[in-house]
Amino acid sequence: MLHGMYSQLRAQISPVLWRHKRASAAILLAMGMIPLAVHADETNNASAQQACYVDGLSEQMQCGAISVPENYAEPDGKQIQIHYVVMPATKPSDRKEALLAIAGGPGQSAIENAQGFDRMLTKVRQTEDVILIDQRGTGQSNQLQCVGDAFDSALAVDESLFDTRAETQKCLDELDADVTQYGSLNALKDFEAVRAHLGYQKLHLYGVSYGTRMAQLYMRHYPDSLVTVTLDGVVPMQQSVLAIGNAIARAFELLIEDCSNNQLCHKQFPDLKADLDKVDAELTQAPQISLVPDPLTGEATKLTMTRSKFKGALRMALYSPATRSLIPHAIHQAANGNFQPITGLYAMSMDNAGIAMGMHASVVCGEDWQRLTPELREQTNQSYFGHEMLKTFAQSCEVWNMPAVDASFSEPIASDIPTLLLSGELDPATPPSWGEIAMEKLSNAKHFIAPYATHGVAYQSCGNDLIAQLIEQGAVTELDGECLTEDIRRNFYLNASTVEAIPSDDAAKSDEQTALNQ
Amino acid sequence: MSNKIIAMIRKELIDAARDKRSVMAGLYYAVGTPLLMCAMFFLLIGQLTSPEDLNIKIDNAKGAPDLVKFLSSRGIKHGEAEDTKEIKLIISDDYAANMAKGLSAEVILIADASNEKLQNSIRRLERSLQEYSGEMGSLRLIARGIDPRIMQPIKVNVKDEATPDSKAGMILGLATMTMIYAVFISGMNLAIDTSAGERERNSLALLLSHPVSTWEIVIAKITAVTIFAMVGLILTLLISKVAYSFVPWQELGFAVSVNTSFIVMMLLVGLPVALMAACLQLFVSFMAKSFKEAQSYITIVLILPMMLAMAASYNIAPEAIQWLPISGQMQALIEFIKGRELPLTQIAVSSAFTLAIAIGLAIGMQKSLKSEKIVFGL
Amino acid sequence: MIQVSNLSKRIGDVQALNDLSFSAQNGQITGLLGPNGAGKTTCLRTVFGLLKPDQGFAEIDGIDIAKSPVAAKQQLGLFPDPFGLYERLTPREYISYFAELNGLSRKEAKLATNNVIDKLHLADIADRHCKGFSQGQRMKTALAQAIVHQPTNIILDEPTRGLDVMSTRVLRDILRDLKNQGHCVLFSSHVMQEVAALCDQVIVMAAGQVVAVGSPDALCQQTGKDSLEDAFIQLIGTDEGIAA
Repeated sequence: MLHGMYSQLRAQISPVLWRHKRASAAILLAMGMIPLAVHADETNNASAQQACYVDGLSEQMQCGAISVPENYAEPDGKQIQIHYVVMPATKPSDRKEALLAIAGGPGQSAIENAQGFDRMLTKVRQTEDVILIDQRGTGQSNQLQCVGDAFDSALAVDESLFDTRAETQKCLDELDADVTQYGSLNALKDFEAVRAHLGYQKLHLYGVSYGTRMAQLYMRHYPDSLVTVTLDGVVPMQQSVLAIGNAIARAFELLIEDCSNNQLCHKQFPDLKADLDKVDAELTQAPQISLVPDPLTGEATKLTMTRSKFKGALRMALYSPATRSLIPHAIHQAANGNFQPITGLYAMSMDNAGIAMGMHASVVCGEDWQRLTPELREQTNQSYFGHEMLKTFAQSCEVWNMPAVDASFSEPIASDIPTLLLSGELDPATPPSWGEIAMEKLSNAKHFIAPYATHGVAYQSCGNDLIAQLIEQGAVTELDGECLTEDIRRNFYLNASTVEAIPSDDAAKSDEQTALNQ
Repeated sequence: MSNKIIAMIRKELIDAARDKRSVMAGLYYAVGTPLLMCAMFFLLIGQLTSPEDLNIKIDNAKGAPDLVKFLSSRGIKHGEAEDTKEIKLIISDDYAANMAKGLSAEVILIADASNEKLQNSIRRLERSLQEYSGEMGSLRLIARGIDPRIMQPIKVNVKDEATPDSKAGMILGLATMTMIYAVFISGMNLAIDTSAGERERNSLALLLSHPVSTWEIVIAKITAVTIFAMVGLILTLLISKVAYSFVPWQELGFAVSVNTSFIVMMLLVGLPVALMAACLQLFVSFMAKSFKEAQSYITIVLILPMMLAMAASYNIAPEAIQWLPISGQMQALIEFIKGRELPLTQIAVSSAFTLAIAIGLAIGMQKSLKSEKIVFGL
Repeated sequence: MIQVSNLSKRIGDVQALNDLSFSAQNGQITGLLGPNGAGKTTCLRTVFGLLKPDQGFAEIDGIDIAKSPVAAKQQLGLFPDPFGLYERLTPREYISYFAELNGLSRKEAKLATNNVIDKLHLADIADRHCKGFSQGQRMKTALAQAIVHQPTNIILDEPTRGLDVMSTRVLRDILRDLKNQGHCVLFSSHVMQEVAALCDQVIVMAAGQVVAVGSPDALCQQTGKDSLEDAFIQLIGTDEGIAA
């Protein structure tokens, strides 16, 4: 296993700007499958490109890698391999342009998420090749992963006893890399090198979550290589991702509001806010320790239900509409002392931490931690998650010792490249207001807010059609976000089994009666 | 090649080029067939693909509002309009009750699976229902503190060795067949005109009275007909190249492109076939007593190459046909299209066969031109 | 010179040629006269090598047609019946084509074609497609084809059939010209006036055999008749199949 305790625990309290894989049947079942997704041989020959397969897709793809210097200031120094996959267009218009899809995290492997990209970009793939690059420090591109010690079970541990500083130091010592070279700007040079290597004249960009930062940097540094850009779940350059704490709190409020506005949910869980506060307060006092069947093995195992686990599980559940619909039931059960649904959700988020925490730290410590103003720090400290994050990053960034990016890094992007920005109203990571901030100096851009989407709008709405349209037309003028407003909201789970109105016993009996009488 | 042969070829080509019937026969085929094929594929694609908005009948929709909403987000909606497909989804009365108890809630899908136009739509509906069921199943497990991965003891990872080109193989097989056939159709009228027609117009005896050998005449006529056949093939290929690029193949999940290497391959492989076609058609028309008779003979004779070509493109015949003329080349071409290694032996053997038949027919023709019966149609 | 020796040819049940021998000399017009079915066309086709004789042989300028057909044919020009024009070609193309078939280079063929077009006054129709030509225009084109390569021997099969008076006169003039140039002209006919007016030597055929040979006057003398027509009837012993 590539992921150990360290990443599991850290993921719960990091900005996590990834796109939570959609909890639709097949994908949900395939979640957390960690094996290396691409079976192309590792090779030093940069031009070697060969047919290969990626996880979850039966179709043949083209895989390859290029060699780049780990440190661009020392071109003859250590070289690392940047792996990429080209998903070929079914009917290529020409081979001069392609779409580069950039994953989130920071720390997610784009190639491991090929299936999700493929599904979302089906229309685009009819005419354009789609490139996925494992950003340096992720996936197969010299992944900076902190495995950590495999102590006990993750369910049993009490996070407050976790020594972030020591564990981070241990991780750093184990990594065979100059971690200071794994920031976004170096990775951008890799992307441009892959583009040139593959011979595409221009690129369409799709960046999701943290990927939008990479896309914006691309707009700033290589505007001539771009035709169109789509930013989905926007992290504006002006914003430190550590400000995410407020977005999480906002998303919790929106959930509770949604439930109380929903007749069925409100009837079933009339005191949701109180339930949440109650559990929160109880767990703040002391963790609840019990013996439960392990979610995977079914063996009896110790569960230390901490506030961190509780809130972390709920937070991660907010990323996807499917798991979000289970939250009211999970809170209500927890308030009644049943932590089964929370344990289930926690297990999901735990195994879904497909994030290279070393690379994650390189990005956040270099680009976000140090630019936090005292005011913002103060403001962020207000929320539970903000507070937790500041605490852990204070410790880990000290170890990681990343040089801060220039102040110019945080300037807004000024560009006239046709740019589509997508935000989900219910997004627990990148709220619509962040999209507005990014719009500041974009002169040829449109920002659409999908009222019922969470994080990763294109996966949950007609956003993917808008991207296909943008790429086909090369302009944002014709784009119309009307279709995003279609009410795709689903019901909340009213018990552990159903989302439909539960027939009252009386009604059920009378139904049976009529059935018997017939 | 002697001056006489060149003079004869030139004369045949000028003569044929001025013959509307000969030119049109080739032209109609070369232009018409690719366009017809495209039109057919357009229709086919329209029928095979499920419409973006799939309207079906949903009974008791209020029994499962969440399911209905989910289907709607997949573009499957209840419709009353004319474009509503003959698919009915009935949500059982106890759907909500069973669902609430954690049991299986029943929905009934009624459709005629033998209706090919519906198959994609039916599959899409089934897939959507499976997806919904799978998602709910996973969440039911999560709600019970169980990792949903346990529901998938086996993860099947399919590695499809088909390339986009090979997926298009079936379509291109059909297209290749029509292209190969172009060499038969394009030269046909000229072949009849220059043999049976020449005799009918009394110029054959005149020609034979001049100091040219029968071999020279045979070679000239074969060459002229072959040139016509090849021009027809080139035209067919060029028009196909343009026309096929307009068909929205991507909706079938693959692309069909008539690229340069395919055109070159097709011309190389087509040449011996065109030679044989020319010999066959000339031979048969020389045997016929009149233009009309020749036309009917040739129509019958052409069924044979057509059947060989079809056998090859549908892969329905015994192994032996892989060495036969036309079918052998066709199979090799299809392999080539699918991006596999070109079966050189197969091409060599079947082309050699083809040429052997052509030479045999040419010898026969040369002999027949010395026969009084053939020359004067006695 | 055309020399036919002991030709016999059976077509189906009919003995078309029966030990036929004659010769046609250079600088003479020789007429092959005979009733329908006498074997005239069969005889000419054999001379051209289109039919193989069962016995005997035909020689053109001393070359056996059966042994070296190409060399022999090189010395022959054929004015066929029917003409066998290519309707989609112009007379210029048509004539030049056959000139090339007779071994002329493309350039020579063009030159020879121009000459023969001048000679036969074909210039006004030379570049129109043959389709729709009058019988006279067709005749001239066919004739031009026969003489374009200036063969020593010219064979005409029923040359005046279907021609009007004017065309017939033109044809006669041309044949006389050819004779005067020293060509050997052999034509078949069943029209008495034609033969009487033109021929230096007449070969009368009946049932595949030569019945009599000689100038028109000599034949009249031989039979004691005043007109060639009467002499002819006397020779073949019947008046069947004779056009007046």
